Amino acid sequence: MLEVRDLNVYRGATHVLKGVSFDVRQGQLAALIGANGAGKSTTLLTLSGLLRPRSGSATLRTDGAELDLTRLSSEKIVRAGLIHCPEGRQIFQSLSVAENLDMGAYTQRDRAEVCRTMEEVHTLFPILAERANVAAGSLSGGEQMMVAIGRALLAKPKMLLLDEPSLGLAPLVVETIFDVIQRLKSTGVTILLIEQNAAMALEIADAAHVMENGSIVLSGTGEELASNDRVRQSYLGVAA
Amino acid sequence: MSQYLFQQIINGLALGSLYALVAIGFSMIYGIVRLINFAHGDLVMIGAFSTLALVTAGVPWPLILVFVLAIGAIAGMTIETIVFRPIRGASQVTGFIATLAVSIAIQNSALMILSGQPRNFLFPAFMRQRVGFGGVNASLTDIAIIVLTLLLIGGLFLVVYRTRLGRAMRATAENLTAARLMGVAVNRTILAAFAIGSALAAVSGLFWGGKFGQIDPLLGFVPGLKAFVACVIGGVGSIGGAMLGGYILGLSEVLFVGLLPQEFSGYRDTFVFLLLIVILLIRPSGLFVRHTEERA
Repeated sequence: MLEVRDLNVYRGATHVLKGVSFDVRQGQLAALIGANGAGKSTTLLTLSGLLRPRSGSATLRTDGAELDLTRLSSEKIVRAGLIHCPEGRQIFQSLSVAENLDMGAYTQRDRAEVCRTMEEVHTLFPILAERANVAAGSLSGGEQMMVAIGRALLAKPKMLLLDEPSLGLAPLVVETIFDVIQRLKSTGVTILLIEQNAAMALEIADAAHVMENGSIVLSGTGEELASNDRVRQSYLGVAA
Repeated sequence: MSQYLFQQIINGLALGSLYALVAIGFSMIYGIVRLINFAHGDLVMIGAFSTLALVTAGVPWPLILVFVLAIGAIAGMTIETIVFRPIRGASQVTGFIATLAVSIAIQNSALMILSGQPRNFLFPAFMRQRVGFGGVNASLTDIAIIVLTLLLIGGLFLVVYRTRLGRAMRATAENLTAARLMGVAVNRTILAAFAIGSALAAVSGLFWGGKFGQIDPLLGFVPGLKAFVACVIGGVGSIGGAMLGGYILGLSEVLFVGLLPQEFSGYRDTFVFLLLIVILLIRPSGLFVRHTEERA
């Protein structure tokens, strides 16, 4: 579904992505793990059109169409069904919870369908229905994460980019979020997940890629990487 | 209430309406692109002279109002497209200097085309009438300004708080990157903010001419500056704050002159900018803004 080839991205003078290549297959849950500054978020920002690569390509195939993400505007990328739920949630603090969810559906024209999705989101996160008219900035961190994910779902993603959904959240909330991620996968949404909690990510991932210094250094299934010595030492905190 | 005090209050509300209309656009533009737009006041001048041209051409007044709104919107969108959009990524200082450049360019082009000679604003004679209610009376012009301004602001609030475009504008103002991730075409949303803000400034030019009777190519400077003060009073970036700031400024300016002895009236603008300094000292984020977050 997604084919990333030899992506080189600079931020200012810094060469952040150095020839990144990987694939995500239709319906797969792929995890991208690596240390801070390895280039994970930069990869996602490039895929959603907010950063432009110096060279390389990123091709999204959906419904028989083939789109070069490195040339499309972020608006067209959203319309194509590639939805990015960014690091740090980035919800609209001054807008109400309901307005935040409506912003997620910004590109959706079918009001009836939006209402249906809204109900699904409210079933997944009942608290969002209760707090519909509250300013989103006044919610707790976990609730704000639910707004961010709910907002992404209202965009009807074919492929979802999730950047650190568990960062700074209480373990119980993290479990809820991971449940939702797995439920999404079961409905056929392709997911690319960045996670600092590598153990949890590898447990649910079909495929995983390890990123170091702007390159993919290791790829495999979640299980393979979870049993790989190097990964165990560096990312899972297991002594050799 | 005495006729004198009533007259002062109506006068202050009318002046406040003019400031509020300019300040709202100023605030919307700052809110969405973090640009202190010193060319914004010149839209007032453009609105005033467009009105004069349309009156001279014999266009009926209700249509003039619509045309002036449209001319303001087009002028604002043009400035945004050819000057501000290309320098979007640049530092705030660069943007600020660019707005000064645009202001000087507009003022001097107007001086070249129109000459610096003040013109009499052609306003229908019946608007000069006074209407009375219960022992007090006020000028019809002032009342028309106050009522039309409230209608325009009401319309603006409907757009900003009840429509998809308004929601996108508020979202973009708060977090431009996140708005892009929602699929908002942010350049179009920014253009809409410029169009709406500039239309309101232009229509305040029409009111300005009606209230003061004379217009000249440099008339935009003062409302631009006062709008800035009104925004600081209310909290830059907030539409409601800018509106209230405009009314507070207009009222206090008029009451300052009206209620203090004659010899102070020359210090009117001194008072306004003293107010600015005091507010910056005690409530730098504005009187009506509860929380502020600075975006780099």
